[in-house]
Amino acid sequence: MEYPYGRAPFWILLIMLTAGLVVLITQSGAGSKRPDLVLVTFAKNHYAAYQKVVPEFEKIHNVRVQLQLVQERALTNRLQAALLAGSEVPDLVEIMNPNLGTFIRGPLEDVGFVDLTDRIKAEKLDERMVASRFSLWSSRGRIFALPHDVHPIAMAYRRDIIEELGVDVSKIETWDDFIEMGRKITKDLDGDGIPDRYALDLNSDGNTMLPLLLRQRGSGLFDEEGHVLTDSELAVDIIIWYVHQLHGENRIAFSAGWGQPLSRAMLDGLVLFYFTPDWRTKFFEMDVPQLKGKLALMPMPAWEKGGCHTSSWGGTGLTITKASKNQELAWELAKFLYLNKEDLGERFALLNIIPPLKEAWDLEEFKTPDPFFSNQPVGTIYAELAPQTPPEYINAYTNVTASKFREAYLNCVTYYRKNGDKGLREYARKEVKRTANYVRRVIARNKFLNPDAPGPESRQVGTNERLEN
Amino acid sequence: MKAAGQLSRGKWYSFRLKATPYTFLTPYFCLVCVFFIYPFINAIILAFYQTNGPKSKIFVGLGNFAFVLTDPDFHTALKNTTVYAVFSIFLQLPLSLSLALLLNAGKDKLKGFFRLVIFSPNLVGQIFVGVLFTVLFVPRYGLFNRFIHSLFYWGLENQWLQNPDLVMPAIILASLWIYVGFNMIYFLAGLQAVDKSLVEAAKIDGAGPFRVFWNVTVPAIKPVATFVVVMSTIGSYQLFELPYALLQNQGGFGPANAGMTIVGYLYNNAFNSGDLGLGAAIGWILALIIFTISIAQIRISGTLREGT
Repeated sequence: MEYPYGRAPFWILLIMLTAGLVVLITQSGAGSKRPDLVLVTFAKNHYAAYQKVVPEFEKIHNVRVQLQLVQERALTNRLQAALLAGSEVPDLVEIMNPNLGTFIRGPLEDVGFVDLTDRIKAEKLDERMVASRFSLWSSRGRIFALPHDVHPIAMAYRRDIIEELGVDVSKIETWDDFIEMGRKITKDLDGDGIPDRYALDLNSDGNTMLPLLLRQRGSGLFDEEGHVLTDSELAVDIIIWYVHQLHGENRIAFSAGWGQPLSRAMLDGLVLFYFTPDWRTKFFEMDVPQLKGKLALMPMPAWEKGGCHTSSWGGTGLTITKASKNQELAWELAKFLYLNKEDLGERFALLNIIPPLKEAWDLEEFKTPDPFFSNQPVGTIYAELAPQTPPEYINAYTNVTASKFREAYLNCVTYYRKNGDKGLREYARKEVKRTANYVRRVIARNKFLNPDAPGPESRQVGTNERLEN
Repeated sequence: MKAAGQLSRGKWYSFRLKATPYTFLTPYFCLVCVFFIYPFINAIILAFYQTNGPKSKIFVGLGNFAFVLTDPDFHTALKNTTVYAVFSIFLQLPLSLSLALLLNAGKDKLKGFFRLVIFSPNLVGQIFVGVLFTVLFVPRYGLFNRFIHSLFYWGLENQWLQNPDLVMPAIILASLWIYVGFNMIYFLAGLQAVDKSLVEAAKIDGAGPFRVFWNVTVPAIKPVATFVVVMSTIGSYQLFELPYALLQNQGGFGPANAGMTIVGYLYNNAFNSGDLGLGAAIGWILALIIFTISIAQIRISGTLREGT
């Protein structure tokens, strides 16, 4: 029997049918083989640490858990798309700060993660863990993730060079003290007009370090209610301070960057002091092993005597997706991974990350001297700073607010280069006001959160009907 | 009965004959409907809604368009993209043409090798180039600053990717490396198609190399040049991956959004913020800009005029 349209179309049809059949069979097979829980993380070191302990959880609960490692940006984008489209998602996902913001733009009912507030309060985790860390994972008073870490910041410095220069770091209490010291040690060593030794690493675009200094002074991008704070007088002070440290004749800071250039700057002694959250200590150990015994840690200088000696940088939270069919089991796994004291000790030895669970800090691993940091007990140093870690309130507009705050700062840099200090404060005030108002305009436009936002009369469809009911 | 049967078979045959082309076209048509016509219509509708993902949406009329057109960030993105497009045309294309002329002129056996070398950056893609240039642009240790410093004794600490004034030049430099070779191939193809007898005739008439180039070569490669200009402009207005990869450590699209392009602005609004409606509106504005500029370029060059 011959196919009426000829041989070629026959083969095309046959290939199509076979391919379709194969997809159908493999998909249905994949469905039946799905483990009881799927946990996805973006951090290689977390993945390695969980691989060690998950078999025990599987044994206790007689279940199968699958761990997946996905690149951070890909994870956020795919998860966002899957949650919005309602397609299959993992049961538990570790997300990085401030990525929760991208998931909480709409009404709380539309957030794709399980609201963990009642579970956390029932187990008194809000008291057992560093309370300020829940700010990263909260929206409108509800908590959507269990914090993995505290990430307090200390200053790592080239102890060998600093001692050689005769600097006593124990006498540096405030940023004023630091700047005074910094001006002495920032030097052009070869007489070519370009300093070859700087006191401080500050990134020149203000990314990360500008907001962390703002938090250290007790402010931030937002307050707890989500009001924009970037046009406060404090924000103006921070911007001017930052401009002065990086530009002009009295500058003490250089932007060492990331990765290899940073390693080079550390090895060459180009920059001597670095903002170092707990996670970064491990990176330093891996990236610049040659500096073993030559680095040391000290608390961040405070803005005034007796003030806060730390801030925070980064954060990871464990979320449970609403689509998970095993939410209770997922919660058990979350607690198993984040609250098991013995495992936390071992994990600290592996990652140098301070867990937010306060009762874990007296474990032996935290007190062990670290030969890389001149035999200082890294765990104890960070554990002492951890309770002071300031809250960091986030929302769907964190990225745009941070970006606009940086824009204000960079415009101030341009102004300073042209005019120096004359009129800088007034200009900075005007800039932070302009950029903060921009953010307020963007936020006000969100009709999901502000049904009265200007525009044509709203006709709500889908899940938003709940707003009107 | 037999006659009726024959008639019916004849009708079936004639139906089959008519239906055959449509049957072959059906898979293509289905794909076009699913992946082009449906999204196209949906994007028109979506542009009039504020969305929180594809499920939740609120009708905002022309609100999205009004917001975009009055948004200073969109103005920045439009300005950046236009600056990039202008440099693409006025820097990239003359360089491509020059290289094509050089390669076309010689009879060297190494011509093929050089053609491959100049074209090869295009093979690796914008993301790779972005990552590579982040290393080259590093202050103090990066190759660019070292080179500039060795020549002028200045610029060792240039912050290419952190200084808003230097971000666009950095993107343009990186894009030159990728696209000069790519466009050179088009020009080379155009130059190889130039009628050699016309060149010979011009030379016999006493025309010098510049005159030959201006009066013979340029008119002959005009259709190719127009094609390259239009495609470069469209490509420039669609620029996304290069600044995205180049500025990934600088908070998105660089300090003060100095590397933000229109597609970057679209990406931020549609995917980072989850407002697909706003993204659709930006997409339509971008489509309109590209359409207008392309039509203007084609009309100005007169390429599609009858008889050209």
